[in-house]
Amino acid sequence: MRTKLTLTTPAAALGRILDQLDRDLIEASDEDIMEAARDLGMNPMMKGSAAFLGLQCFSLAEFFECDALKGLLQERAAQNPAALQAPKRTARRPKSDRAN
Amino acid sequence: MPQIPQLADQRILTPAQVALALNIISRMDFLRLKAIARLHARGLPPDVGWEDLLQEAFTRAMVGSRRKPQGVAMVAFLAGIMRSLRAEHWRRARGGPASCETVRIDHQRDLSHAAELRDPTSDLEQSLLACEQIDAIERLFAGDAVALGILAGLAEGRSATQIRASMRISKTVYDSARKRMRRTLLREGLTCGLN
Repeated sequence: MRTKLTLTTPAAALGRILDQLDRDLIEASDEDIMEAARDLGMNPMMKGSAAFLGLQCFSLAEFFECDALKGLLQERAAQNPAALQAPKRTARRPKSDRAN
Repeated sequence: MPQIPQLADQRILTPAQVALALNIISRMDFLRLKAIARLHARGLPPDVGWEDLLQEAFTRAMVGSRRKPQGVAMVAFLAGIMRSLRAEHWRRARGGPASCETVRIDHQRDLSHAAELRDPTSDLEQSLLACEQIDAIERLFAGDAVALGILAGLAEGRSATQIRASMRISKTVYDSARKRMRRTLLREGLTCGLN
């Protein structure tokens, strides 16, 4: 005789799998991580290791060098040629003049 | 006279990077959490990445919306936040509080006599997404019959003892398979972000 009713949905099954596997990863030792990295030819102890990819963030310099951004700016500039013209700057007075 | 640093030289730090810089976590913990985030992101819609989940967990820990209980390791604490973020998502997707997954009809604990019922409220899209992710996890262990058997047992909510009994495998075989599974998941976690 069946003594327990289990409501099984794929979502519940996935949740149970993830919760159990997550414990395995929490308990993974540093050596386990190093072994896994070695399998992939990575060295997490090295600065800039590929293992850390995806956790980095753009610097502003990288952001402004981004090809997609350059393309967008050129596209906008083509639509509005006036934007290409550099703003007029007033000539700066020499320091000696400013002191007076 | 102090110089104002060049704006372009300034780096924007993510919450995870701040935690690393402040020695809240070690570099190894960082990688451990990356693998955990990758795993839990499987239970989220495709447009939510593992990076989002990880940064959100760090943010909640750092702004104090989640308090770390004393004696709980930082990795376990952050993993718990990710787990609850995932659960929160499913709850919202179902449109209400989590339904009880198990209904006991007596006090015996023999799972071999369990009856399986489909949850009628299960949303088709959520089910398809979950099935897809279960298939993807199974593919990680393709060719490893013991690992796949363990996975099936975990999906049914069985304990290690129950799985070993139903598969008729020793503790050594079971432990060794779990170790292989852990290594596979770590490898998967380390390679995410490379594409």
